[in-house]
Amino acid sequence: MSKIIEVHHLFKSFGAMEAVKDVSFYVEEGSLFSFLGTNGAGKSTTISILLTLLKQDAGVVKVNGLTVGKDDDAIRNEIGVVFQQSILDPLLTVKENLDYRARLYKMTKEERLAAIDRVADTVDISSIMQRRYGKLSGGQKRRVDIARGLLHQPKILLLDEPTTGLDPQNRKQIWNTILELQRKTNMTVFLTTHYIEEAANSNFVVVMKEGEIIAKGTPHYLKSQYSANRLMIIAKNPAQLRSQFQTDKLAFTEEHSTFLIQLEKTTDAIVLLAKYEELIDSFEVQKSSLDDVFIQIHNGKDDIHHDGCYEA
Amino acid sequence: MMAVTKRNILLYFRDKSALFFSLLAVIILVVLYGTFLGNLISDSLPDFLAKKWLLLSWIFAGILAVTSVTTTLGAFGTMVEDRSTEADLDFYASPIKRSSLFGGYVMSSIFVGFIMCLLVLLTANAIFFFSGDEMLTYIQLFKVVGVIGLSVISSSSMILLLVSFFKTVKAFAAASTVIGTLLGFLAGIYIPIGNLPAYLQIIIKLFPTSHSAALFRQILMEQPLQETFAQAPESAKHEFLKDMGVFYEINGSLTSPTFSVLYLIGIAVFFSILAVVLLKRKRS
Ligand SMILES: Nc1ncnc2c1ncn2[C@@H]1O[C@H](COP(=O)(O)OP(=O)(O)OP(=O)(O)O)[C@@H](O)[C@H]1O
Ligand SMILES: [Mg+2]
Repeated sequence: MSKIIEVHHLFKSFGAMEAVKDVSFYVEEGSLFSFLGTNGAGKSTTISILLTLLKQDAGVVKVNGLTVGKDDDAIRNEIGVVFQQSILDPLLTVKENLDYRARLYKMTKEERLAAIDRVADTVDISSIMQRRYGKLSGGQKRRVDIARGLLHQPKILLLDEPTTGLDPQNRKQIWNTILELQRKTNMTVFLTTHYIEEAANSNFVVVMKEGEIIAKGTPHYLKSQYSANRLMIIAKNPAQLRSQFQTDKLAFTEEHSTFLIQLEKTTDAIVLLAKYEELIDSFEVQKSSLDDVFIQIHNGKDDIHHDGCYEA
Repeated sequence: MMAVTKRNILLYFRDKSALFFSLLAVIILVVLYGTFLGNLISDSLPDFLAKKWLLLSWIFAGILAVTSVTTTLGAFGTMVEDRSTEADLDFYASPIKRSSLFGGYVMSSIFVGFIMCLLVLLTANAIFFFSGDEMLTYIQLFKVVGVIGLSVISSSSMILLLVSFFKTVKAFAAASTVIGTLLGFLAGIYIPIGNLPAYLQIIIKLFPTSHSAALFRQILMEQPLQETFAQAPESAKHEFLKDMGVFYEINGSLTSPTFSVLYLIGIAVFFSILAVVLLKRKRS
């Protein structure tokens, strides 16, 4: 597999605000790659540099072997983009919007019409082609945005928070469209998201916080690396169990008379359960979700900022 | 460039409120003339032959001059809006040149200004027809269309420079209304130049739109002027032409049409170069 996007030691500041600090990563051709991070992490800034919209302060960025800053026009032909905000014209119909955007690439009239039919089919918007873009629902707009990004059959599709602001059902649908697109066309899909569950679908995840990469790997790797399995016990007599734990010097936390014990691996629970069997009313062994992993990564990296409000 | 141009034109005509606001100054002008300015100007002049026709031609020349600026300005609203909503990012992320993008904004506003002025011209001609006055000849129509083109191009070159200062659509809309209203004064359209104090007269003579207005007046008023001043002494005609801003007096003699044409071309060239230089500098 070849690297279709390569980013080496990327820096970008806006005045005193360091939006991207020494970021390096690569994306493999044909993969689904996610950039995970909270508000202001620097996701859009990195994307803008990839798109040749912003100049980096330092660092080298290559897209399909082309260098950002040197081969900008060629790069623009390789990338399709779905921006975080809507950029199409509300007063024009879906078809008009797609047609005018298709004209930005050197296409003949026949090629344009064929391209519009193709993308309309791909994202299933054929029935709304004559409606004004501004009158569409959020989910429909997103579909059209994706269609616009696909007009010139790019090698890479960049989506900046494609599902933010959509209801759960629409989110799922958009997400299915993206997955299907990637499977069928083998296009490289690069997306940013706040949602951990979405990142879990990808081949590789990079987690960003305050301009820096704080973790990267496959979802499976991240889970095994940062997972926090735990044993939950409800005691027959909480006071008794508490003092027993204390004399055994076992680390635990208590939440609403439920005892929580961190485990290396889930099987460690067997020994503990056997040992305290008499005192246990009921128990549960929890394998951490990627969600917990994310919080773990964030808190581990920086203990001062506990802004752990991650929607999932 | 054509893609952007066509899109912008379509957006201008679809956006009913932008369309209205770009015509607001024209509407205000028509209302002012209809309610009291018309009578005021008429009363300030002695009675003469074909007075109504002459004044109507004068008024339409002023409306044409204002329209050529405000509609062009209105069409540039798309550029401000694209920038404030970051919709222009999509163009920057496409393989079109920045110059094509700016060219598209300029071309579309020139086109919009041109079409709107043509509509005013057709309305004027229709009104001449229905009020029993002579309509414009083909040669005159041809000349007016030429002046419309010149006027719209020079306006858009000035506006291009102005537009780069506006970040929000609201600020731009407010400024447009102010400009549209001020325009009527600065080009001697609300009140004829002869009724104004000397320092204002100097400003009017320098203001490019006054020269569009003068050129429009020269063509539209040609026939009624002949009728009015057929028997009158040359000095009376000279005074009238000067006071109504049909020609401007500079250094003791009246300006020629060629002077006004060259002045407008000069303005267009000067501001275009300035805009290109500034845009280039902004990019680097
Ligand atoms: N043009 C700009 N001028 C000044 N600061 C900026 C600019 N663009 C971004 N920033 C700042 O850079 C930081 C990173 O912003 P960025 O938009 O890349 O974040 P993000 O990860 O995309 O966040 P979100 O999830 O909210 O979209 C933020 O603190 C932001 O305020
Ligand atoms: Mg963002």
